[in-house]
Amino acid sequence: MRGITISSLVIFCFLFSYFLPIKDAVSDDTKSCLRCHSVKTLSKQLENKESLSLYIDGSKFEKSVHGAMDCSSCHTDISLKNHPKPKKIASKKAYAKEVSQNCLQCHPQDSLMKPEVHGKIVKKNEIFCSECHGSHYITSMKDWKKKAGFSTYCMTCHQHAITKTLPGKEKLSLKVNESEIKKSVHGKFECIVCHSDFSKINHPIYNYKTKAQYRTEMTQICTKCHKDQDLQKNPAHYALTKTASCIECHGYHGVKPAKVAKSLPESQYCLNCHSRAISMKMKNGETMSVQVKEEDLLNSTHKKLKCTDCHKEFSTTQHPMRTFDSIADYRAKSKEVCNNCHKEEVLKYDKSIHAMAFKKGNAQSPDCLKCHGYHKVSWITPDKSARNELCVKCHTREGDAFSSSVHNLALKQGKKDAPVCSSCHNSHDVMPTNIANLNASCLRCHKDIKTSHNKWLWNPPVRLTTFVDTHFNSTSCASCHTQTNKAVYLTVVDRAKKKVLTEDEIAKIFGVNSNEVKGKIDFNGDGKIQEQELWQFMSSLKAKTHANLAGRIDVLDPNDAHKIEPKSKTVKDCAVCHSSGAQLSGKIEINKEGTKAVKFDFERTALNSVYAIPDIKDFYVLGLTKIKILDILFFIAVLGGIAVPVGHITLRILTAPIRRKRREGK
Amino acid sequence: MKKIYLHPLPVRVWHWINAIGFIILILTGVQIRFVDQVGLMSFETAVQIHSWLGFILLANYFIWFVYYIFTGKFFKIYIPPFWKPVEFIKICIRQAKYYAYGIMIGDENPHHPVPENKFNPLQQISYLFIMAVLIPVQIITGLMLWDPQLFGSVVSLIGGIQVATLIHTALWIFFSAFIIVHFYLATLGVTPMTHIKAMFTGYEDELKHIIQEKKGGEEI
Repeated sequence: MRGITISSLVIFCFLFSYFLPIKDAVSDDTKSCLRCHSVKTLSKQLENKESLSLYIDGSKFEKSVHGAMDCSSCHTDISLKNHPKPKKIASKKAYAKEVSQNCLQCHPQDSLMKPEVHGKIVKKNEIFCSECHGSHYITSMKDWKKKAGFSTYCMTCHQHAITKTLPGKEKLSLKVNESEIKKSVHGKFECIVCHSDFSKINHPIYNYKTKAQYRTEMTQICTKCHKDQDLQKNPAHYALTKTASCIECHGYHGVKPAKVAKSLPESQYCLNCHSRAISMKMKNGETMSVQVKEEDLLNSTHKKLKCTDCHKEFSTTQHPMRTFDSIADYRAKSKEVCNNCHKEEVLKYDKSIHAMAFKKGNAQSPDCLKCHGYHKVSWITPDKSARNELCVKCHTREGDAFSSSVHNLALKQGKKDAPVCSSCHNSHDVMPTNIANLNASCLRCHKDIKTSHNKWLWNPPVRLTTFVDTHFNSTSCASCHTQTNKAVYLTVVDRAKKKVLTEDEIAKIFGVNSNEVKGKIDFNGDGKIQEQELWQFMSSLKAKTHANLAGRIDVLDPNDAHKIEPKSKTVKDCAVCHSSGAQLSGKIEINKEGTKAVKFDFERTALNSVYAIPDIKDFYVLGLTKIKILDILFFIAVLGGIAVPVGHITLRILTAPIRRKRREGK
Repeated sequence: MKKIYLHPLPVRVWHWINAIGFIILILTGVQIRFVDQVGLMSFETAVQIHSWLGFILLANYFIWFVYYIFTGKFFKIYIPPFWKPVEFIKICIRQAKYYAYGIMIGDENPHHPVPENKFNPLQQISYLFIMAVLIPVQIITGLMLWDPQLFGSVVSLIGGIQVATLIHTALWIFFSAFIIVHFYLATLGVTPMTHIKAMFTGYEDELKHIIQEKKGGEEI
């Protein structure tokens, strides 16, 4: 059917062509072709559904540089004899590639390679002769160059998807969207206004290594008109020009007028620049990204807030220039942004070990931003395990220990009241473990625990919960609820003020630097505290304060406190601590402001000595602080007690004859 | 035989409860303190017995206290004649001499117990100290150790739990020695069982009757 249609069309064209005016100048061969191809509606549908016009304007063709040539000169595969025949063409591009091969018959590749830029295009094989030069109406290059406007001239090639591959394998598109330029603030400019080193006879080649370098270099073009003094009118924008290229924010050719942006919704206005990969430089040379991802904002708990709700000093008209010493300095100050709304949390955080460590310059220590993110402030997840993961990111060892605990088991089983890290350590006011009173955290969930302990932990004849308190106040829950090594921690306190003496305070008493306190207690430097050392250290302290040692039993390795065992495995044997054979280590603990305490090991004899009594007034456990000399005194007393009657009886036996004689009146 | 009623029933009851209590308290004290070396019972059992007995002796102390204070005998029997110090010191020395020397050569005990003056001066001074100071101190420090939290304010008043432990242990040492000597001294009556029997019956045979009965007999 298709064959009949095509045949009919050819016969019709052939007959109809006799009525059409055919140019005399063209060859007979061409005339024959034009009989059909001068029909304006003649077209062909390609395989990709594009429509390819087969119409040839004879008069225009006649005027072209190829006007005197036969059609078959180029269309070598088509003649009247073997035409029509169904020719399969995939697309216009494919056809352009195919027919452009014919150009090479007369225009040898060598000559095409001579102009360097042209040569590169030919070599790359991305666009083909017919796409730039056209097909049937090619005029003299010299004439065309003269007549064509600059933009038309450039766009001849640059309208096509040509690219340049940079040494780093980055591909730089050289295609220019003409309509985008027309709509831009530079719509009336010819290309050479900006690209002034280009002309119809000069096409320099840039050898940029990266896109970034290209952007930076291209930005120089902008500064030809947009001088430094103009840019300085807006300090924030001026600062940006020093860190980012114009192109990154404004684009290449579709430069929008700045006034349009101001009318945008506020957040959009800010994002105009901040959605891009811009960064700011700190005084110490650190670079911090100030890019804000819109999707982060939209997914955050702050999605209904405007940028200026937090960044109060900024607006569409105000962009103060701020400088920071370092990223840490920026983070410390950015806490104030959170403080606008989250006052209570910030106040709590300020007391925390995290805040103190951060202040001391530990960049790894968390602040608001480290946990909550900058703009991606997430919702508090109901997934408790996920909540723990935040802490475990830094506290991996603790996370591992916790994973073996009965608490983690409860968490896995999805129990509603299973604890997360913050259940015990708090979320914002995370304190050093030795002063955090973690037992109170246990009691928050295990409410009836005093009563249940009191079922077995009591001293007859009266079942008093105060006896439980005695243990709760001086023993960490973890000491009995984990199967780990235990220690007695003796902390230096001011007994009168009922407060812990920190390393700094102790240093002040001794009139030394904080790092010299170690030498004041362990003055023989053997890493252990002996009787003499303890006595001397405490005596010096007591001369100026009411220093004393407060004691508590805790796990030896603080991390073991995470390994809470099920009830069946807890320690209920009193002798674990209340016996001289108890495996308790002794440690002296000197608190440090906002960080972990410094600990030294005790020589056991230091705590068994009678000299220890005035230094450890408020703590006593048989397992460690039993005064040994009293045991010796006990044996001496018992022996002495026995010696009295034995001695007396002996004397009485020896003196019996005297009494007998006396009775007998001798 | 003439007998003197030296020990009224409440005193005898108090004494024997105290005696048994003391011994067990000392022994459980040993067990508590030397849990690794002594295996009489477990630590928990020792603590429980020790606590129970502590309270029993506390109640017992009140029997003694109420009896002696309300009958007014405390002042007669326990308070030495501090208004006659020289004389009192003299009779103390006389009594000490007797135990150290007189008893060896067959001297008569210079002190003749009568209900209103049943203690010799050395007994008087030591029992006053024990009953009015040491036992109350032992009870109070015992209570502090029994529940350091409940008696926290008293604990801090005396200078901390270490001090309470120190005092309680020191008195435990003293009482351990004391009870041995006390038992021996109890046998130093006219016959070894004179005082002991009296502590059961309340009556003590008067000295001269015993001597008459035991004429020719040996006494150690």
